[in-house]
Amino acid sequence: MADDVITVENLRVRYGEKVAVDGVSFTVAEGEIFGILGPNGAGKTTTVECIGGLRIPDGGTITVHGLDPRRDRRALAELVGIQLQHAELPDKLRVGEAIALFASFYRTPADPEALLAQLGLEDRRETPFAKLSGGQKQRLSIALALIGNPRIAILDELTTGLDPQARRDTWGLIEGVRERGVTIILVTHFMEEAERLCDRVALINRGRVVATDSPSGMAGRVHGELHFHFQPSAPIDAVGLERFEEVSAVHVRGSDVEVVGHGNLLGVVVGELNALGVVAQRPRIDQANLEDAFVELTREDALNTPMVAEAVAR
Amino acid sequence: MSHISGIRGRRPGPRRAAGRGLGSGSPGFGTLARTELRMFLREPLALFWGVVFPLVLLIVIGTATGNKHRAIYGGLRFIDVYTPVLIVFVFGIVGLQAMPATLVSYREKGYLRRLSTTPIGAARLLQAQWLIYTTLCLAAAVVTVLVAAIAFSVHLPTQFLGFVVILLLTAGAMLAIGTLIASIAPQPRASQLIGALLFYPMMFFAGLWVPQASMGETLRTIGHATPLGAAVDGLSSTLAGQWPPGWCFLCLIAWTVIGGRVAVRVFRWE
Repeated sequence: MADDVITVENLRVRYGEKVAVDGVSFTVAEGEIFGILGPNGAGKTTTVECIGGLRIPDGGTITVHGLDPRRDRRALAELVGIQLQHAELPDKLRVGEAIALFASFYRTPADPEALLAQLGLEDRRETPFAKLSGGQKQRLSIALALIGNPRIAILDELTTGLDPQARRDTWGLIEGVRERGVTIILVTHFMEEAERLCDRVALINRGRVVATDSPSGMAGRVHGELHFHFQPSAPIDAVGLERFEEVSAVHVRGSDVEVVGHGNLLGVVVGELNALGVVAQRPRIDQANLEDAFVELTREDALNTPMVAEAVAR
Repeated sequence: MSHISGIRGRRPGPRRAAGRGLGSGSPGFGTLARTELRMFLREPLALFWGVVFPLVLLIVIGTATGNKHRAIYGGLRFIDVYTPVLIVFVFGIVGLQAMPATLVSYREKGYLRRLSTTPIGAARLLQAQWLIYTTLCLAAAVVTVLVAAIAFSVHLPTQFLGFVVILLLTAGAMLAIGTLIASIAPQPRASQLIGALLFYPMMFFAGLWVPQASMGETLRTIGHATPLGAAVDGLSSTLAGQWPPGWCFLCLIAWTVIGGRVAVRVFRWE
């Protein structure tokens, strides 16, 4: 395991009476993509704002490459590139000007031209910010987060508002950034994004870390059932499959059959079909993924609060 | 991008101690100021009201009012009395309207916040704004005085040092008040409204509608306490070759210092 470059210990932030972050702790290793997942209002953005030195925590300690974001803000700014939610540029600022301007703030900036080309903005150089599409604005925002050649990039809701194609292109870009050795903190609520990009994810709910694990490890924490979908090549008595111990339910929708179960479900069903001389066409297996884990773990977390537990008990 | 090459890597060492004054000191300040200037020049409305309109007014008034010397203007012609008013008009538009609207929209968009995540920090943007608007106002004042002198034989400010000092203090007072407006106003529209509510009374006491010389004693006394009233009086002295009266400096310094201190204390970055 590489060295930890970010350490967050027992972070607390309150807005007036409301506790936004309530004892969050995690570490991020050099070169990894660390995801922060959680429902809206869970405290994800507040947490990364503290790491970026934008917000002063009420308690806890943060170390970023040995720096304290509160005290060494300027040195931190050289190391950390941030892509903020809801941070726009002046309407009349052109793409080329914006990238040159931000490059001028850093001691060792990346090559503006190369970065624009990488993000597919090279033919938008003369376009004012107000005339860019949502996806182009987002790409420019990513470019500005990377222009200082940061060691750490914090990307908050990176692909929100992008169409599916643009989202996939952006993922490719992030993987390219990681290959340059940049450590990335990715705040997201897209499970697919976290599954594809992140080495580890922390699931935050109501200001607390519910679980920290790899995406597959996280999915493995919930013991969901397997769903085996197929179309039999000849009519069968699908409901008869329920006699097997591994099968808990069978649903038939037209020519589609869905067998729900656990353990060696697949072997049992395919064996039975073989015995009948039937082939399973267009087979598909669904099992618990990060999204199921997300739903399950945040629900468990809600059940653990005294008020909800009491309400459920009643 | 050719204009950044001169800035990149200019100061490799630590620059924390470089100070907070205007001008250089952190890399990127020059680029920041130039970029802000370029964006201002792209605002046709600001450019019209701030630069073109006062010049047109000068030419119209100079042509229409003729060469009569009048006792009520202290033996001067209308255009002589009016030239300083048109100079401070630009300062008022820029300081009370253009700058606060820009700052508020930057805050609303999250641009100030975005800058504060970079090594340059958002305070530098404020300084860049003050720098370019002061420069613009001074340039407009020089053009106005030259046009007035060449086209209508208005006296050049032979008390040149006094002229420049009054202009700088006027810029200081207007930008301090403008920054204060930007601190209070929640959105650009509100800042334009507050700016207008301050601009018109201030321009009244500067003599936009009634020359100061024709005002009654009470109005003149009130006018002495307003920044643009003091500015016009001070500039008129320098056009007549005299050092401006002490209270002009006092008034402008007071507005700059008090307005500036309050603005810095209450300014909101997000």
